Amino acid sequence: MKVVDRIESRERCAEAGWYAYDYLLDEQMKPEFIKRLRPLGNFVYLSMLAKPFFKVESDYFLIKGIEGDDFFRAAVHEAHPEVLKVIEEFIEGIV
Amino acid sequence: MIYLNQAATTYPKPQCVLEAHTASLYSGPVGQFRSSSTAKEPDIFEKCRCSLGTLFGIKEWKRIFFSSGATDSANAVIYGLPLSGKNVVITQTEHNSILRPLLNLREQVGSVTIVPCDSDGKVEPADIEAAISEETAAVFVNHCSNVTGMIQDIAGIGKITKKKGVILAVDVSQSAGCIPIEADLWGIDVLIFTGHKSLFGAQGTGGYYIKEGVEFCPYKYGGTGRDSRQLTYEKGDYEFEPGTQNTPGITALNAGAEYILRRGVERIAEKEQNLMKMLYQGLENIPGVRVYGNAMKNRGPVMSFTFSGLQSSDIAYILQNGYHITVRAGLHCAPLIHDAMGTGKYGTVRVSISDMTQEKEIQSILSAMTEISAGGTIA
Repeated sequence: MKVVDRIESRERCAEAGWYAYDYLLDEQMKPEFIKRLRPLGNFVYLSMLAKPFFKVESDYFLIKGIEGDDFFRAAVHEAHPEVLKVIEEFIEGIV
Repeated sequence: MIYLNQAATTYPKPQCVLEAHTASLYSGPVGQFRSSSTAKEPDIFEKCRCSLGTLFGIKEWKRIFFSSGATDSANAVIYGLPLSGKNVVITQTEHNSILRPLLNLREQVGSVTIVPCDSDGKVEPADIEAAISEETAAVFVNHCSNVTGMIQDIAGIGKITKKKGVILAVDVSQSAGCIPIEADLWGIDVLIFTGHKSLFGAQGTGGYYIKEGVEFCPYKYGGTGRDSRQLTYEKGDYEFEPGTQNTPGITALNAGAEYILRRGVERIAEKEQNLMKMLYQGLENIPGVRVYGNAMKNRGPVMSFTFSGLQSSDIAYILQNGYHITVRAGLHCAPLIHDAMGTGKYGTVRVSISDMTQEKEIQSILSAMTEISAGGTIA
């Protein structure tokens, strides 16, 4: 999976200390891709929904998205901006 | 898209508002002091003040002044009232448009007393009375909570502020246009409103009313189109709207106010309360959903819920990206009420409607939440 772009979220009401970004990908997120995110943190995957939702959460970041979309949202704590790079590298490493 | 975030800003607007806004941009400039329009007809500013005065129950409608919105109005009011070194009583339901000016314009305000609300957002007038001290100069009350839709008893509070001899300032941002307001009857001294919510105006419009006799000074200075040689402020209301006014915005606001007057605010309230009843009852029956308040007590066109196992922001994300339903998640710029609701950590999912909302849109969010509830097992 390739990250095409990272856009600062238009959401203006994120809670203090957190920054949100929308990641654009070069293809749609399939179940296999979503399941590969599990090692990143606490993993939630509501695969029974008509449009399945997933979320991965750790102390300093959060990723959420919908299966079939070619984008997801990531939020990072301001004290740990370096995790963005970790997320990007992890995602680009998924083949 | 199904838009159920009307408490943030209304969409769509009535057709007459769109037409008035567009027509204004095609029309020649208006305003008795700044251009040479005919004096035979009242200009759009006076028309809009009059429409809003009728809607708000304000006989002295000429003392309604325009601003860029509720935040601008609140800053003007808090700066302009004689609050220096005095106590101000507010409620736990206030929006940051009131809280932040009050708490940051410290040199303008001596102290702030916050009167608590219950978990539905209700504030007891008796608690406000108990909070008023010798040092209190003003009481600020949010008429309708933008989190729970609770409507406060302004008439009851007005009797207290009149008896105590303090200013009553009411923020009607969430109620203007959808809940009956009787400012004169209720004893309101200062009214703060925004134009782009249930009044159906454009964003960047709003205003405030200052009752005749209430001591007030401007917080912005500039060109007013009259008395140009007078460079320092003398008492009067002529500097309450300095600078060129937002004519297209005020034209749209007037069209929105006239739409509401034609339609009848009571009829709008009745329609919205019926839709909200359907929403409350539907959500209450969905496993995992916790609703805050109920349709009998919380009568405004906005409500909050949470869902067990998922954060409010997750629900909003799923509704937006999975079902194309726009709601809002978080604290909704009203942080203190969440302490009473127990939702301070993750906030709530807020659903809000307007006169343009249709029953099928309510059914859509109920269907979506039923599906999320049924499929919301964690892998």
